[in-house]
Amino acid sequence: MALLEVDNLSIGYQTPNGFLEAVEGVSFSLEKGKSLGFVGESGCGKTTIGMALMRLLPRNTSVKGGHVAFEGQDMLKMSDEDMRLIRWKKVAMIFQAAMNALNPVHRVDDQIAEAILTHDPASSRGDAMKQVEDLFQLVDIPKGRMRDYPHQYSGGMKQRAIIAMALACRPKLIIADEPTTALDVIVQHQILEETKNLQKKFKISIIYISHDISVVAGVCDDIGVMYAGQLVEYGSKIEVFGSPAHPYTKALLSSYPRLTGEKDKLAPIPGEPPNLINPPSGCRFYDRCPSAKVSCKTEAPVWVKLTQRHSARCS
Amino acid sequence: MNSVSTMIESSKRPMLQLEDISKTYRSKGSFFGGSGKKIVALNHVSLKIFKGEIFGLIGESGSGKSTAGRLIVKLEEPSAGEIFLDDNKITGLKGKALKAFRLKAQMIFQDPYQSLNPQISIYDTVSEPLIIHKTKNVQARKHLVLQTLKSVGLSPRDDFLHRYPHQLSGGQRQRVAIARVMVLKPKFVVADEPTSMLDASISAQIFNILLEMREKLDVTFLFISHSLAAARYLCDRIAVIYRGNLVEMGPGEKIIQKPKHPYTQALLDALPKFGHWDKVEGHDTLLRVDRGDFQDVGCPFFGRCKVAHQRKCSQERPHLRKSDGSRLVACFYA
Repeated sequence: MALLEVDNLSIGYQTPNGFLEAVEGVSFSLEKGKSLGFVGESGCGKTTIGMALMRLLPRNTSVKGGHVAFEGQDMLKMSDEDMRLIRWKKVAMIFQAAMNALNPVHRVDDQIAEAILTHDPASSRGDAMKQVEDLFQLVDIPKGRMRDYPHQYSGGMKQRAIIAMALACRPKLIIADEPTTALDVIVQHQILEETKNLQKKFKISIIYISHDISVVAGVCDDIGVMYAGQLVEYGSKIEVFGSPAHPYTKALLSSYPRLTGEKDKLAPIPGEPPNLINPPSGCRFYDRCPSAKVSCKTEAPVWVKLTQRHSARCS
Repeated sequence: MNSVSTMIESSKRPMLQLEDISKTYRSKGSFFGGSGKKIVALNHVSLKIFKGEIFGLIGESGSGKSTAGRLIVKLEEPSAGEIFLDDNKITGLKGKALKAFRLKAQMIFQDPYQSLNPQISIYDTVSEPLIIHKTKNVQARKHLVLQTLKSVGLSPRDDFLHRYPHQLSGGQRQRVAIARVMVLKPKFVVADEPTSMLDASISAQIFNILLEMREKLDVTFLFISHSLAAARYLCDRIAVIYRGNLVEMGPGEKIIQKPKHPYTQALLDALPKFGHWDKVEGHDTLLRVDRGDFQDVGCPFFGRCKVAHQRKCSQERPHLRKSDGSRLVACFYA
């Protein structure tokens, strides 16, 4: 059984202008120790999925349907108290913009110890501090900097501290939402490599959420491409990026400047994604799709299975 | 350092020239006096950008790349050195001469969410520069604004002109910002990370607009970015900057395919190798643990460099020197 199984998840936001379908009919599964990456443009619903798995969605959200089975338990049906017990202990999150995720008025080590003590009240403060020390060693922050405040850290160190905090309770699943977006490439590389090693060491499953396909391609086994709230292509990294089937995936790949190979002219995707309040009834990519047929406007595309592990929502 | 800029032999005319530019800031001193630490943002930088060229300045955050852009459009003055635009010295310009300069050199900022005034409509945003520079009467102005908006891919229906920035997407905002710059038909434009806030598909639109501007309006660009892939796509030549020092400069494709400076090599090593699923052999020039603080007489990259020679590199600063053909590298061992 997979560690996480998400089936037909739909989530919407109540906005002043109407009901916004942020995520529609998303299904995927994740095995122990594997990593899955969601890519897509801003507003495509990838962060909403992450927040839903943490059950941290804002109040104006409603989960319209679907199941999220984590270790066989339906997370969406859990009571708040049960959820509180597994949040961070079993499912942790590396939030977007690490600079804002740390509390500026507490020392970094205290913040991490707090997470440990909350979920393991039996352990003493001394034990917790010892664990924090080990965590800092894992993520490569010098011991002497443990008692610092967040503002004394560089961006990369803050991101490392956030990763240490996500690892604090040895979770089974980590959701990493744009974990390296604000960082320089050299630091990004170091952090992604470290995360990969820690994942292997502790057999953690990771969901990466990013708009940068090259980052996701570097660290994930499987890829889910999202467009306008829907998953449009899903499969192993090599299949999705090597032989993309959905016109959106193809378009996304050819709008991305490369470092190697021929210097082809970039082909931007014309137009903008559709408004998700009253989204189009047919294919959501219809307006921007170079190979759309008349029927695509009205008929929602169905999933086509291309190989054992690769499918796309386009015929 | 002057010899450095003359080393790139070219028959082309330089549109912009930096000569031995330095910029230092002082961090705030303590309450009880003391003048604070001196921070060197740019250290004796010399370069030439030729007419019609897109020149990429590549570096990490804090490398001084944005400072260079701000000095060129005179948002700040250099601490030392001279800048020439079209053979005219621009350092120290004031009053009317400064205003005339602004007509020629413009800047596209990084964040279109902050660079547009939320209280000013799209039409007024783009026509304001024309009013300031008294270029046109009302009718001609309207014509120019519409034409420019069209050229950046915003075919404006009438209602679009009277919209406000918050009603636009990030990509549309950046295009308005570009239109505001281009409406003046400048000769030189600094584009400071113009797509770092945008999605890939939208970035590609912006890149193609910049290429088109060069083609149609004969604009010369300084493109400031942290992305080597974007620079490869857009730029003819690039310079890599590290802690305020140029470490490598030359044709973009050459530097990206065969980097010579250990820092450029480390940068390329760190980039995700998209499309290459097998492990790619890196240059491996970055120290796992850096050497910590060292005297700033030596090479700026000494603290993190694996190939550095302890005595030579910590005590003597390598200057840019010719490496192969038109490439310059500031490393004793490159």
